[in-house]
Amino acid sequence: MTRPLEVQGLGYRLPGNGKGGTGNGRFLVRDVSFTVGAGETVVLLGRSGSGKTTTLKLINRLLEPTAGDVRIAGERARDVPPTRLRRRIGYVIQEVGLFPHFTVARNVGLVPRLEGWDPARIAARVRELLAVVGLDPDTYAPRRPHQLSGGQRQRVGVARALAADPPLLLLDEPFGALDPITRVELQREFQALQQRLGQAMVFVTHDVREGLMLATRIGLMQHGGLAFLGTPQEFRESEHPECKAFMAAA
Amino acid sequence: MQGVHGGSVSLWGFYARNSGEVLGLVGQHLSLVASSTAIAIVVGVPGGIVLTRRPAWRGPVLGLANVFQTIPSLALFGFLIPLPFIGGIGATTAIVALVVYALLPIVRNTYTGIAGVDPAVREAGRGMGMTDWQLLTQVELPLALGVILAGVRVATVVSVGTATIAAAIGAGGLGVYIFRGVAVVDDTLILAGALPAALMALAADALFGLAERQFAWRAE
Amino acid sequence: MGGGGRWRAVQGGACALAMVASLAAGCRSRDRIVVGSKNFTESDLLGEIVAQQIERRTGLAVSRRFHLGGTFVCHQAITAGQIDLYVEYTGTAYTAVLKHAPVADRDSVYHTVARDYAQRFGLAWVKPFGFNNTFAITVRRRDATRYGLRRISDLARVAPRWRAGFGYEFLERADGFRGLAAVYGLRFASPPTAMDLGLTYRALAEGKVDVIAGNSTDGQIQALDLLVLEDDRHYFPPYEAAPVIRLTTVTRHPKVAAALAQLAGRISDAEMRRLNALADVEHRDIATVARDWLRSNLP
Repeated sequence: MTRPLEVQGLGYRLPGNGKGGTGNGRFLVRDVSFTVGAGETVVLLGRSGSGKTTTLKLINRLLEPTAGDVRIAGERARDVPPTRLRRRIGYVIQEVGLFPHFTVARNVGLVPRLEGWDPARIAARVRELLAVVGLDPDTYAPRRPHQLSGGQRQRVGVARALAADPPLLLLDEPFGALDPITRVELQREFQALQQRLGQAMVFVTHDVREGLMLATRIGLMQHGGLAFLGTPQEFRESEHPECKAFMAAA
Repeated sequence: MQGVHGGSVSLWGFYARNSGEVLGLVGQHLSLVASSTAIAIVVGVPGGIVLTRRPAWRGPVLGLANVFQTIPSLALFGFLIPLPFIGGIGATTAIVALVVYALLPIVRNTYTGIAGVDPAVREAGRGMGMTDWQLLTQVELPLALGVILAGVRVATVVSVGTATIAAAIGAGGLGVYIFRGVAVVDDTLILAGALPAALMALAADALFGLAERQFAWRAE
Repeated sequence: MGGGGRWRAVQGGACALAMVASLAAGCRSRDRIVVGSKNFTESDLLGEIVAQQIERRTGLAVSRRFHLGGTFVCHQAITAGQIDLYVEYTGTAYTAVLKHAPVADRDSVYHTVARDYAQRFGLAWVKPFGFNNTFAITVRRRDATRYGLRRISDLARVAPRWRAGFGYEFLERADGFRGLAAVYGLRFASPPTAMDLGLTYRALAEGKVDVIAGNSTDGQIQALDLLVLEDDRHYFPPYEAAPVIRLTTVTRHPKVAAALAQLAGRISDAEMRRLNALADVEHRDIATVARDWLRSNLP
């Protein structure tokens, strides 16, 4: 049975040769390997600059890997045209990035519409998803993003990512821009969502508590490589200095 | 011909007696402005879009458009006259010059409007699998429309004014009255040309301003 | 820059302003002659000849305000005292300024303008240079051959299929296009194209228009292989060029009048055409052309 996501030896090196110029030949990601099964959530934890966001973008080819392999449901990502690849991967970012000139409904229904779904089917799906993320469809579907709070916007962002029912979800610090109370609220609801939906997820964060709460396994990134990969319990008990540093801050 | 030293006849009397000719010149003037602005949009908006996709070109292209802008209009007409195809006496040369002047505001505003779109919006769009064309037509252009229309507005208003000089090279338009009036020191004639031109500029400004408010997306 | 510095800047500014003001006032100082000209080459040439002649013979300082504008701009300037003299044409003064109906007799035209200008405007007419620069209704030579055009009357035949191009003054003047069209029965396909006078020759040569109203002494007529049609109905009055000068200037500087009188009758039609060609076709510097002519003709 093919896993939703297999990452093997993934690497990303900046262009340039170290003598000045556009990049300097630095490795942002080096030899990262992990898999994610259905219903699993791998949390990529790490300090700023550890390479976790870069790794995420290598999976949906917003950045092109310079080394290694990514397989989505058995298919090599490299062999699929990027736009088609991304339509089958849900993507949630910290700033949300809702289209300000679209209603909530049109925002959520974006990928189904790009894929040519029947309008009635899109409308039904939108209502379904808004309910799933805790927003009353009748109230919120016709609203525009600027009329929503930060927390409501991110709920819409998650609904949008789930709209075409992708097998894989990528989330880049989705709750990082929210106030602490809203953040905790959304984390709890997200946990419930994980169990209901059964998507495979890669979740990037620098917040160790969030990571421990939401992860099936934690991948601790350091200097572009995976320093640790294991369950939250294993993470708590690990002797690795970086794990201990994060646990001390938890 | 009425006085040597300025019209003692009222402007309205002049318009009443020469309504055919006045309408003809207004029509010519409108045609010069409309055709040059249309060409500038067709060239300038895609040009501005290209600049957002190729940032390295931005400096040279905007720099060049800026240089064109600083050439005095009569001088530009003079440069163009000897050229084959696009030169010569008449409306063609005038339209080429007007297009040159309209390019900078349109290209620059298209670039600024699109570049001003929230990067998170662009990233989310790309990340969800929109092609570059879909992103451009469904997201970037609609969000940039207000700024682009502002550029078109500026270009049009400037064109109305510059088109009056086109009469010096035989392109017609309201400048004909102004030049005739200057030649014989007849203030009525000068005003007969200058007034409608000024009104035309104001009307263009108001109309495009309205379009900006109407069609440009904005948060309430 | 502290308070003291600022006061000094104000003083400096006031000084500069005073200097500019006195300079402007001084521009009309008593010992300076201001020569104007209209906005075409021949007028600039004659203006330069006049200016240099005054400088050589009287030693007075001469300011040049050339290429001012058309007839009416210059007329306004001289009656307002902004210029002291400029070269005008008798026919133009007769019909366009004084608004008399055109007549063909040279002497009667000259005497009328001399008398009326003195009475009405306080301006004196010096004796003419000796050539007649009339409006030249000009066509392309090959068209003249093809359609058998020799006189302006012949134009009436082809006019309905042709396009005319004129400068703004000719279009507006009473002795210009309107009168010409009436007298010769010219009906063109569409109203004439209006453009800067200097561009009309190019427009004719390029085929943008088929007939223009140039000047009979223009240098470009021969160079561009054009033909001037004969004014068979004598619509145009004689246009003899002569300096027109303010009477007050004559009184204050009698030597100027004497210097100008030396120029009378010295330039024939052919000579004027030659000088125009030097400037317009060979693009020689006008001041040099004027200086060379004066040296050869009035050593």
